[in-house]
Amino acid sequence: MRRIAIALVILVALAAAPLLLDEYRTTLLLPVFGYSVALLGVNLLFGYGGLVSFGHAMFLAIGAYAAGVATTALELESFEAMLALGVAAALLVAIPVGLLCARYTKIFFGMLTLAFGMLFHSFLFKFYDLTGGDQGMRVRRPTLFGLEFEDLDKTGFLVGPFYWYCLALTALLTLLMWRLVHSPFGLALRAQRDNPRKAEYLGVEVGRTRFVAFLVSAAYGAIGGAMLAVPTGLADPELAYWTHSGTLIFMTLLGGFAHFAGPLLGASTYVLLQDSLMSWTPYWRLVLGAVLALIVLGCPQGLMGLPALLRARLRPALVARTAPAE
Amino acid sequence: MGAFLEVTAAGLFHAAVLFLVAAGLQLVFGVQRILNLACGSFYALGAYCGITAGGYALSLGVPPLLALLVLLLAGCAAAVLGPPVERLLRAVYDRDESFQLLLTFALVLMLQDVVRMVWGSSPRQVDGIYLAYGQVEALGARVPVWNLLVLLAALAVALGLGTFLRRTNFGRLLRATAENRRMAASLGVDTGRIYASVFTLGVALGGMGGALVVPSSAATPEMAVELVVEAFAVVVIGGLGSMGGALAGAAIVGLLRAVALVVWPELELMAVYAVVVAVLLLRPAGLFGKPAT
Amino acid sequence: MSAPLLEARGVGRRYGDYVALQGVTLEVQPGETVAIVGPNGAGKTTLVNVLTGLLRPSEGQVRFRGADIAGIGPVRLARWGMARAFQLVQVFPELTVAETIAVGALAQMGRGRRMLTSLGADHQLQELVRETAVAFGLENALHRPARELSQGQKKLLDVASAFALRPAVILLDEPTSGVATADKHGIMRTLMEAARLAGVQALLLVEHDIDLVETYASRVVGLRGGQMLADLPVRDFFADAEVTAALVGRRPAKAH
Repeated sequence: MRRIAIALVILVALAAAPLLLDEYRTTLLLPVFGYSVALLGVNLLFGYGGLVSFGHAMFLAIGAYAAGVATTALELESFEAMLALGVAAALLVAIPVGLLCARYTKIFFGMLTLAFGMLFHSFLFKFYDLTGGDQGMRVRRPTLFGLEFEDLDKTGFLVGPFYWYCLALTALLTLLMWRLVHSPFGLALRAQRDNPRKAEYLGVEVGRTRFVAFLVSAAYGAIGGAMLAVPTGLADPELAYWTHSGTLIFMTLLGGFAHFAGPLLGASTYVLLQDSLMSWTPYWRLVLGAVLALIVLGCPQGLMGLPALLRARLRPALVARTAPAE
Repeated sequence: MGAFLEVTAAGLFHAAVLFLVAAGLQLVFGVQRILNLACGSFYALGAYCGITAGGYALSLGVPPLLALLVLLLAGCAAAVLGPPVERLLRAVYDRDESFQLLLTFALVLMLQDVVRMVWGSSPRQVDGIYLAYGQVEALGARVPVWNLLVLLAALAVALGLGTFLRRTNFGRLLRATAENRRMAASLGVDTGRIYASVFTLGVALGGMGGALVVPSSAATPEMAVELVVEAFAVVVIGGLGSMGGALAGAAIVGLLRAVALVVWPELELMAVYAVVVAVLLLRPAGLFGKPAT
Repeated sequence: MSAPLLEARGVGRRYGDYVALQGVTLEVQPGETVAIVGPNGAGKTTLVNVLTGLLRPSEGQVRFRGADIAGIGPVRLARWGMARAFQLVQVFPELTVAETIAVGALAQMGRGRRMLTSLGADHQLQELVRETAVAFGLENALHRPARELSQGQKKLLDVASAFALRPAVILLDEPTSGVATADKHGIMRTLMEAARLAGVQALLLVEHDIDLVETYASRVVGLRGGQMLADLPVRDFFADAEVTAALVGRRPAKAH
């Protein structure tokens, strides 16, 4: 009950944001939505599935480029078409890649996904005629539910209709993910993460479970990528670079991979943090790197895990009581 | 024939540099079971140190032909970061591999900006060395002497490492620790000292690779992240933890890239990644690696 | 004579030149509790791996409910109604007791693949989970993650999750290993009673503890050097001093 109340408050606050905040800050929230959706997918693999994909950014790029292809090559103007195309393209790629990767875990899964991700990046970068090479591909402003909003300029569109559309889309996708992770499938995914062998002996098809999770996370990544590309108007090959995949995992860890809301918190914190840092120092990577190191070393449960961490530190007696009797 | 030799020489030059970085990766993985994403960062650091040292030496009037030595030493200077970074990584040895990867990724981010801070964001170069070594002509091919020297240097390092690991006491200690860490520790081996030494050696090797590249290419802050993927391709193809694998993998990647550039330029790195995918699927242990745990 | 629940016919397993198992033929009928005994290296583990479809026999056949199960693997094994618990306790550290039991229960109910149904709203599932937990005395720990349980509780959970599959046959690998001697009989009684409640038709036990074998098994199969030396009802087995000595060693004088 409390969770629903908190979620509703946040939803209402976000819906009111364009009316309360200035334009710049409102547009800053758009990548928060995009990354939130993408990270929900990443955490399905990482937090719930125990799989670190170092090539996941490839799906964000697919979403962005699908949006570009839709508007430039296919003359499709609706955002719905962009999303559909992006998800279809992501699944087309994720099916063979996922089939191949689902048998592996840990380092090998990470390396295989990294290789695939960079393969895709090279393709985007080198095949200038198809993808625009290092210049990327233009993404034109889409229609929403068929509506063009001609009287709004680009910014007005972004902080108005597009903002609320993305908010609603993010909320819907969050609900869907909630359903997924609390279903038998979600349980099977967590079981294979904790003990794949035992899961098999209890009838869980580990490979299939991983594969399906991979597909879902790819689709989420593509939708997130499209949401990221419309505000910038550009599908950039660097979206697919391995360091972007690393950043996605960083954001997930920052928020807390063991909690459902971790990705959402991670996306917002990272985007806002990066924005503030960038205006403060050119060496923002240094600061972010230090933040990541601190999290890995001192607070691996991320921001969502901070309250528990502080409680444990400040009340050692509580820790002693929960230690199992062996 | 001439063109063929030139392409091969270019490929082998790149392979030599890759080998140095990959050897560092393999050493660290073999002993500490950590995949160091920051290997490219040390490579970059070595390159920048080489540029500074090389430029300084030339300005002092040091003959360009001694540059090889200067650069090798400059590359090793990066090793000063070895012990402190290793101490940092020690906190995650026993943790999940994902956390190890993430910590080294944090290092990549930090070191990228450190390089920017010290040397700036624009490409840096050291002139006057490459050409001073001249070219050699044989069988209709023109091959820069520098490239050959780097190749020889890499082979010398390979031989040296091989001998070191097989013949010396410390080398045997390293291999024992790699085989069974707990047992080595319970036998009184100072694993902390071993880890620090191995890591520092790995950093030095990476730094050397970077330093040797600067006469012919400019150094940029992005070179770190670009190299990491290639270095990984090398260790995957060659087999994780194997020195022989680093040599074979580097040769394959270097030559593959050189050939791809000539045959179908768009493919260049894609060819390498495609081979990596193939290896991971068909023979995950690579050419010389042990079967995956 | 009804078809045996589980049978091995002339099963052998070789690794190159090394013969791990040779000419093993046995049948398990409903209602039996079969103990598999023998010294270390006798091939017990290999036999068990073949009987549970994990290993293909080099020769011979293994059938479960009439179907050939050679090498079918753990997932299909669970689906077809055979469960297995290992000597080393296996749990899902981050899953609660209820969730752990639910994994097997869902497989048995055929609902394991569903992606959009809510676990919490599945009353049939929750009821099954409760029943299983109660049978193993774990009902008070239902919502605690497995990593917080004591070693004994983890062991019970490990076995309970296998029982949630409602298997026709369950194979337990040294179910009381690591348990204090005073508790062994208690654990075994819990297991046998839970088996009865879950509708398990036959149990196979790999066991070193002679006392437990004599108390709970209905039949004893003895292996040595990869060959089956004995397949006798439990009383006959222990009446034969030679066979007992060859397979389980000399018995210490029993204290009553």
